Amino acid sequence: MSDVQQEVTNLIYREATLLDRREWDDWIDLYTEDAVYWVPSWANEEETTHDPELQLNLIYLRNRGGLEDRVFRIESRDSYASVPLDRTVHLVSNVLVPKEDGDDIEATANCIVHTYGKKGGLTRGSLYDFNLRRVDGELKITRKKITFIDDRLEGPIDVYHL
Amino acid sequence: MYGSNIQKELDALVDDRVSDGMFRVDRAVYTDEAIFEQEVSRIFESCWWFLCHESQVANHGDYFWTDIGGQPVFVHRQEDGSLKCFINACSHRAAILTPFKQGNAKTLTCRFHGWTYKCDGACIGVKNEEEGTDKGKFDLREIARLKSYKGFVFGCLKPDICSLEDWLGAAKPWIDLMVAQSPDGLEVVPGSSTYKTDGNWKLQAENSVDGYHVSTVHRVFAHTIAARESKGEYTGIKKTESGRIAGGVPTAGYSLGNGHMSIWAQHTTPEVRPIWEAKDRLERELSPIEVEWILTRGRNLYLFPNVMLMDNPSTQIRVMKPVSANRVDITVYCVAPKGESDRARAGRLRKFEDFYLTAGMATSDDIAALEDTHEGSMARDAKWSEFKRGIRTFTQGADDDAKALGFEPEASSDNWDHEVLYHGFYRHWLKMMKGEQVG
Repeated sequence: MSDVQQEVTNLIYREATLLDRREWDDWIDLYTEDAVYWVPSWANEEETTHDPELQLNLIYLRNRGGLEDRVFRIESRDSYASVPLDRTVHLVSNVLVPKEDGDDIEATANCIVHTYGKKGGLTRGSLYDFNLRRVDGELKITRKKITFIDDRLEGPIDVYHL
Repeated sequence: MYGSNIQKELDALVDDRVSDGMFRVDRAVYTDEAIFEQEVSRIFESCWWFLCHESQVANHGDYFWTDIGGQPVFVHRQEDGSLKCFINACSHRAAILTPFKQGNAKTLTCRFHGWTYKCDGACIGVKNEEEGTDKGKFDLREIARLKSYKGFVFGCLKPDICSLEDWLGAAKPWIDLMVAQSPDGLEVVPGSSTYKTDGNWKLQAENSVDGYHVSTVHRVFAHTIAARESKGEYTGIKKTESGRIAGGVPTAGYSLGNGHMSIWAQHTTPEVRPIWEAKDRLERELSPIEVEWILTRGRNLYLFPNVMLMDNPSTQIRVMKPVSANRVDITVYCVAPKGESDRARAGRLRKFEDFYLTAGMATSDDIAALEDTHEGSMARDAKWSEFKRGIRTFTQGADDDAKALGFEPEASSDNWDHEVLYHGFYRHWLKMMKGEQVG
């Protein structure tokens, strides 16, 4: 495994672990200030929406402030859907690094999230598309697209379910 | 629980004694499967049921598959531009005819045995047809009634119901306020979200016009947005109306007749709404009172039994598919004025995503509250839900605001915390359940 492959894999694993262990501030620190976080909705049975600006997304956050909103909401303990907080286990695999261009790296991965909450156990799958950038020697996420394959959603979906 | 005694027991479910200061509903209406079964036949199959928006079937051959009370149907745009709606089942052996929820097919060929139907429902092909087959006998079954009101398409399985316009009645001006926002009408924006809810459909109906929960369930949304705004702008259109959520602004609620209900609340920062860019045109084309309602009042409209139209910071069609007493599936669409600027469209969508999705920061909390309400309703030892707030102060008929806009509600409340609007909902529900009125 190349150094870059190893580094990217570690970053993606680390994100999953921080989400499962609810270490929100460290999780947000994986993202650059201008990071885009995008979960398209399904336009039809086979295709997601493709223009995040002018079509409907499940989540579309255009900088890290949007992730901070989510953490604010979770930590407030005032969100009906987030108290009690669902337990999650992220299993990430199939990490590939198709493109490396200096400090800019593209990566893909698959993720299964097992959630346990009020509705019992739920298992959901996502495809991850990452854009990463080396900032001061450290790899950060500049864009994460999550293709959430479920269509008819069961229960609330927040950043830790994805 | 009620089983065959349901008819006798129906009256006991709604304790309607407004003159004594009492209105309450037996929580069995949410949880009892025998009641639900009767709702399917007496309500869902017997009144105008929202099917889709015309922009979802814009062109010849466009189809949209949905259901009416669990019976699959599809709306199909005809060659002459009109719409027809058919039971979505092959006349031969019942396979669903539309491969997708939404698509285009000028003829439909069943994927099971290859029977073919024209857009108008005529059976034009039977594979390996036997001599003497009368294909005319196998034309698709068209539903009894289909009608649009300003782009919103409704249908009914029963023929002998009132006109759609009469059915919508006092709700029409509320729809008009949405449609008037573009000279070219409205369109559904690509993308949607469907979610299962472990709760009764009537709880969703109640929630959609429940102003009282906003300052508790959505307090965290207001705080989150306030924290965001303190850090600077990023949604494309700066503020979301957190003031409306915190309370202390003028509000009202109406029982509109035929079970329809609505609420409004004054916006504290109407200039951030996407529609604000159309202010000059609206002022030229509409009356001052209509402009005031469009620009400065967030509005939620519930149309009995299965659709809600929201016009707040964003604009939404929320469609219910009741599955059982304990479950309703909900699909939400962003509906927007055709021809608005990209900036307004983007702002509208970001506000929609913030609030109106189970992946958002408000509807998710609504659903959690709804599901808890449903679960609490399983407690048969505490069986009444009271709808008494405002029972001594409401206005019979129209208040001044309703008169000024020109609609005639059954009852008006000058506070969206009040629960009198639900009286009309449950009276209509009871009437239909008893078979005293069809839609």
